[in-house]
Amino acid sequence: MTETHQSIPIGKLLRAENSQFVAGCRVRELDTPALGALVKVRLEDQSEIYGLITKILINDDSLVRQLVSGVSIPTEYTADNRYNRNLPVEIHVLTVGFAKDGKISHRLPPRPPLSLDELHLCDEAEVRRFTAFGDQAYIRHILRLVDQPVEELLAAHLRQTKPLHEQTGDTGWYAQLCQKLITLLRDDYPRLTTVLDVLTELEHE
Amino acid sequence: MENSTQTPNEPSPVIGYVTGGGLEANLQVRLTVPPQEVQEGAFVVIDSNNWRFYGLVTDLQLTAIDEHYANQLNSQRFAPHLANYLNSQTLYTNLAVMPVLMNEKGPELDSPEYPAWRLLHTEDSDPISVKTIPNHHSPVKLADKADIADIFGEENNQNIFRVGSTREQGHPVCLNLDKFVQRSSGIFGTTGSGKSFLARIILAGLIHADNASTLIFDMHNEYGPDTTSSDTKASAPGLKGKFNNKVRLVGLGAGTSFGKLQPDFTLEIAHSDITTEDVLQLSQILNLKETTGTTLDALENEFREDWFNAFMNMKVGSMIENDEGKLEPAPDSVAFWARQAGIHSGAAEALRGKLARLFNRPYLNNSPASNGLKEIINTLQAGRHVVLSFGKYESELDYLLVTNLITRKIRDAWEKATTEFQINKIKEPRPLVVVVEEAHKLLNREMANQTIFSTIAREMRKYYVTLLIIDQRPSQIYDEVMSQLGTRISGSLGDEDDINAVLSGLPGRGGLRGMLAKLQPKEEVLMLGWGVPMPIPIRSRRYDQQFWIDIFGAERKPMDMDQASSFLGFDDDSD
Repeated sequence: MTETHQSIPIGKLLRAENSQFVAGCRVRELDTPALGALVKVRLEDQSEIYGLITKILINDDSLVRQLVSGVSIPTEYTADNRYNRNLPVEIHVLTVGFAKDGKISHRLPPRPPLSLDELHLCDEAEVRRFTAFGDQAYIRHILRLVDQPVEELLAAHLRQTKPLHEQTGDTGWYAQLCQKLITLLRDDYPRLTTVLDVLTELEHE
Repeated sequence: MENSTQTPNEPSPVIGYVTGGGLEANLQVRLTVPPQEVQEGAFVVIDSNNWRFYGLVTDLQLTAIDEHYANQLNSQRFAPHLANYLNSQTLYTNLAVMPVLMNEKGPELDSPEYPAWRLLHTEDSDPISVKTIPNHHSPVKLADKADIADIFGEENNQNIFRVGSTREQGHPVCLNLDKFVQRSSGIFGTTGSGKSFLARIILAGLIHADNASTLIFDMHNEYGPDTTSSDTKASAPGLKGKFNNKVRLVGLGAGTSFGKLQPDFTLEIAHSDITTEDVLQLSQILNLKETTGTTLDALENEFREDWFNAFMNMKVGSMIENDEGKLEPAPDSVAFWARQAGIHSGAAEALRGKLARLFNRPYLNNSPASNGLKEIINTLQAGRHVVLSFGKYESELDYLLVTNLITRKIRDAWEKATTEFQINKIKEPRPLVVVVEEAHKLLNREMANQTIFSTIAREMRKYYVTLLIIDQRPSQIYDEVMSQLGTRISGSLGDEDDINAVLSGLPGRGGLRGMLAKLQPKEEVLMLGWGVPMPIPIRSRRYDQQFWIDIFGAERKPMDMDQASSFLGFDDDSD
């Protein structure tokens, strides 16, 4: 897993636990990370922790509040507040696996990453390798999320990942993933049908 | 009809796995193949540890892990492949399997446990009634040819006789004819269900195997002479034509003939062979009163075996003038005899009047040319088979009188032979199957106590005599007789009462009832009862040319003139 060693980081870690972590980035760096994208953090021992972006959060501060309540805001004020503010954009990441000594696992890592560890986007080959590993068990971490639009997250993830597999002629990956989702969710009728609705929409795009 | 192409003897694939159930409530099996690949009544095997279980599919049920999945049309809401995945994971079919038999098969031949197991089990065991159940998730397969042969035997064209084949895969299903004749049995089915062809097939099997004699009361001249099928208009060979030496065709009354075919001998019954018991058994049909018994007793006391003839010759209403000029019954009159015998003359005259229907039966004769009754018994005891054709005497009275009379003689003869065998152990009596058509006429609730047949059904197997009853209305047959039937082979039956009658006294009636009700109107039959290891619906064998080729081997064609000359050594080339 050295291909992305020299990729540009999209953020640095603010806080972390085993199952999720939050990185911060500047607004100007925000054009690359996207909801559902596979990201990773490299630890000191060279192991890597993989995660999916589940939420991108832009916090307010007192200045924004004052500006919002103002009658009219000059354009340069808006731009300044957006791009030069001291508050980072928060990128919330759901941990979905790790790699140690080049071996991928879809379990949670033994330890979370540390603050200021760099967050990188995975490249296409890496996405293919991680998501096709084993029997796609990483998907269970997504379904575990509560109080979040899981269906949308899935749709966003699949919209990015499905074409990557299909580019290499692997149409079975998506079929297998659909079956996996049905297996995991079939005891929850409302949730599964919503997920399938989203997948159907995605296919009709 | 039977599949002409037999499936090769390869192991059947797994069709599902056990998910629940038990002995009482049937096993539940989750089907992993489309439901159309399995039919109600399918014979399945379930391997679990060292045991193999044999069962019968009694129901198929569509179900879902959540009824919402079944209630909406997934294919309309979701992308087609998603709907397919969803349906395959959430909708399924459950089989209800009635476990019937089990057999200890032991570990796999190549497993390390096998030698130790074999030491403890030196002989292969036979299947026994099911006493336990397979484990959860035991794989379920449709029985293959070998499984069916394990249970029903392997056809040998002798006592293990093929009656048909399984409906799904066409594997042969056999009947053990030795067991079949040990108890009374029945063949049932509505008109046109192929009942009489099935009876012919089984009778041909019995005659060919030749382990028992058969006496066929052929009311409609169907079994002896060749006939034409009423449905297909095809010619159907009779048993006489096919088993000429083994079968004797007996015609009732002098001068009976069956087209070109002449009977081997005719049956005329001597008046002296008719007992008062025979007449009493006709009480219902002759509408005899309660006083009949007394009158008949008096007749028998006075005239012994000549009573029938003597009574026939008495005149009704014949009077003479006495010395005092008064009219009184003439000495040859019924009234004269009645007065002498102390019987009410009115009752005697009424009986004489009612018996007139018997007196004018042409086959009843004071001095018949031959003793047909004795010849029938001798023929049967010599190991041959008799088809008694009623010819033109098709009335119920003829049928009741003659069958009762002959059967009573048979009972006497076989009881005697059995007693002798028990004493001197020299000659075991030849098993005899008495084939009765339209059996409800003889074995209905009212008649069953009067006719000899219910006794045969109940008790005569100890004396080597059993019944094979052929009928379209089993519900009309006395329950006590029905419950005695060992083997029952039933074609399609429309009436609920008939279905219940066929199943009377058998375990697992609930599941079998549906199976019986849904048989195809033709060709499909359900075999069940004591004589078969487990109930099984089958596609019956066809009574056609192939049947006879299977039985006798390929026919030998007659030689033409050239072949004959060559065979005899008159070859033209020789000079």
